Amino acid sequence: MTARAAAAPSRRMQTERRQEALAGYALIAVPIALFLLLQIGQVFYAGYISLFDWGLRGPKAFLGIENYQKVLADPLFYKAVTNTVYYTVLVVPIQMAIGLFLAVIVNQKIRGRTFFRAAFYFPAIASSAAITVLFLFLLAPNGLFNGVREVLGFNPLFEALGFDANQDWFGDQRTALNSVILLNAWTTSGTMMLFYLAFLQSIPDELYEAAAIDGAGWWATFRRLTLPLLAPAHFFVATISVIGALQLFDQAFIVGGTGGVPNNTLTTIVLLLYRQGIAETDFGYAAAIGILLFVIIFAVTLAQRKLFGQAPAW
Amino acid sequence: MSTLPRDAGTNQASLPKTSVTQSGDVARPGDRGAKVRRTIAYVLIIGYALLMFVPFLWSVSTSFKTQAQSDELNLIPQPVSTRGYERAFNELDPALPRLFLNSALIAGAVTLSNVALGAMAGYAFARLRFPGRELLFVMVLGTMMIPDQLRLVPIYQILRAFGLLKGPFQFVGVWLVLAISAASIFLLRQYFMSIPKALEEAAKIDGAGFFTTFARVVLPLAMPAIAAVAILQFQGAWNGFFWPNVILQDRSNWTLPLGLSQFQDLYNTQWPPLMAVVVLATLPILVLYVFFQRYFVEGIAAAGVKG
Repeated sequence: MTARAAAAPSRRMQTERRQEALAGYALIAVPIALFLLLQIGQVFYAGYISLFDWGLRGPKAFLGIENYQKVLADPLFYKAVTNTVYYTVLVVPIQMAIGLFLAVIVNQKIRGRTFFRAAFYFPAIASSAAITVLFLFLLAPNGLFNGVREVLGFNPLFEALGFDANQDWFGDQRTALNSVILLNAWTTSGTMMLFYLAFLQSIPDELYEAAAIDGAGWWATFRRLTLPLLAPAHFFVATISVIGALQLFDQAFIVGGTGGVPNNTLTTIVLLLYRQGIAETDFGYAAAIGILLFVIIFAVTLAQRKLFGQAPAW
Repeated sequence: MSTLPRDAGTNQASLPKTSVTQSGDVARPGDRGAKVRRTIAYVLIIGYALLMFVPFLWSVSTSFKTQAQSDELNLIPQPVSTRGYERAFNELDPALPRLFLNSALIAGAVTLSNVALGAMAGYAFARLRFPGRELLFVMVLGTMMIPDQLRLVPIYQILRAFGLLKGPFQFVGVWLVLAISAASIFLLRQYFMSIPKALEEAAKIDGAGFFTTFARVVLPLAMPAIAAVAILQFQGAWNGFFWPNVILQDRSNWTLPLGLSQFQDLYNTQWPPLMAVVVLATLPILVLYVFFQRYFVEGIAAAGVKG
């Protein structure tokens, strides 16, 4: 009797369990199908395409690793890698430093904190197209930037550096990529600030109070307390920032088109991929560039994990 | 780490921190150095904040100038001219209203599907127990590692094979690629996990099934997270460039960012109409930002800083 009494609720619990599992599968079915089809499946499909001479009409011939050999022997690919690495090495530290600086400021009990936080993030709300067109105007030969430096009397300095009064910052191959760096540092630092801020807010007040009691000054507290505690934040922000930078496309494309004008200085890895894939419809070659980019991003993420020691919060 | 606040009140209440500078001030009252330092700090950050606004102010100013005035350095146009806007409305192909409509259509569809699918999957991953749950969730998060550009060629092939690169089906193609993001699922899952289980258990005792509990009890409580996901996705889709640029090959299907990048070539150095389009394209997001600033800020941090 006791056995039957125990069996009844357990059977009911079993049905309930099954129903719960079914409900779970029903709720995730569509997203999981989309992820399998449009994300994970595509990685394998890209790998497959990269092994063929693949044109608009589909595969023409099996090439094995020949596409990869072609990519790795292409001087334009090295140009693209050089440009992308140059961009990344400059823009990431700038974004991180400004982002951290701003986060520390708006994490203080200052007047107008909400306003400053909103203001610093403000540039990130507009589209890359709008921002890029806007900067094309600001940095044009007769644009605001050249106008202001003339009014402020900076022109002799710029002249000494080899830039005349009507310097075309995006059109000159010496300055085009640096102008994109400036543009994106301006846009993205606010986002980096938000990431740092989320980590800063998780540091317990007690630690700061203890530091204050010990008589630690602002700089000592920042160097000895805040900065070490932010180690996982550095990892996280650096990873996000590097991955984003390695994928530079929108701004380079809007300024320089598929040709990376001027003179391929704006040809990034992704721009080359786009040019080969969409404009030249050499799909196998473009897919090989995509796989190589994936490998680069993966390697960088692993290297950063080693460098900063700690895994991200998740 | 930073989960979304239940309401505005708790958000503000949870933020304040005892800052070191301030406790330092308390320890040494009347320290003139601290005061000077603070004034300098304020001047610097106000200057930096201005630097964030100046480019946009300049675009608004220029959009009301005539072509001849557009390289002058005065902020207030004299006289104020609406010629730039007239040209933007009359000369562009496709016309501005069409670009707005296309952008709104795509952004609306992407937002809806992300909210609906994200809430459903987020709830399942947060609360329902089923075999393989952890593995599937790791898989979902893993998709964030896949760069969009790697998918460019294969997605292009698949969309073409299914006829989704033709005419109005291009909209379907863009929507499919952006229909659900792992970030939406993640953000909603985190929020669902922060809701006390007792509420759902009470509903269960009252005889409610899983779907009723989800729709009637949990969803209404998750409005802040849903709003954050909606705003994040709307902004992303409204501003999106990469996929629309690849998929929307018919001129009449262009969105605002695509139009902008093309007019930039066409209208080279005709700044007033160009700046008018920049201003108009940014305006909807600006309005959202002014009214829902908290969701932008909290959403970005919560979606990015996982956990």
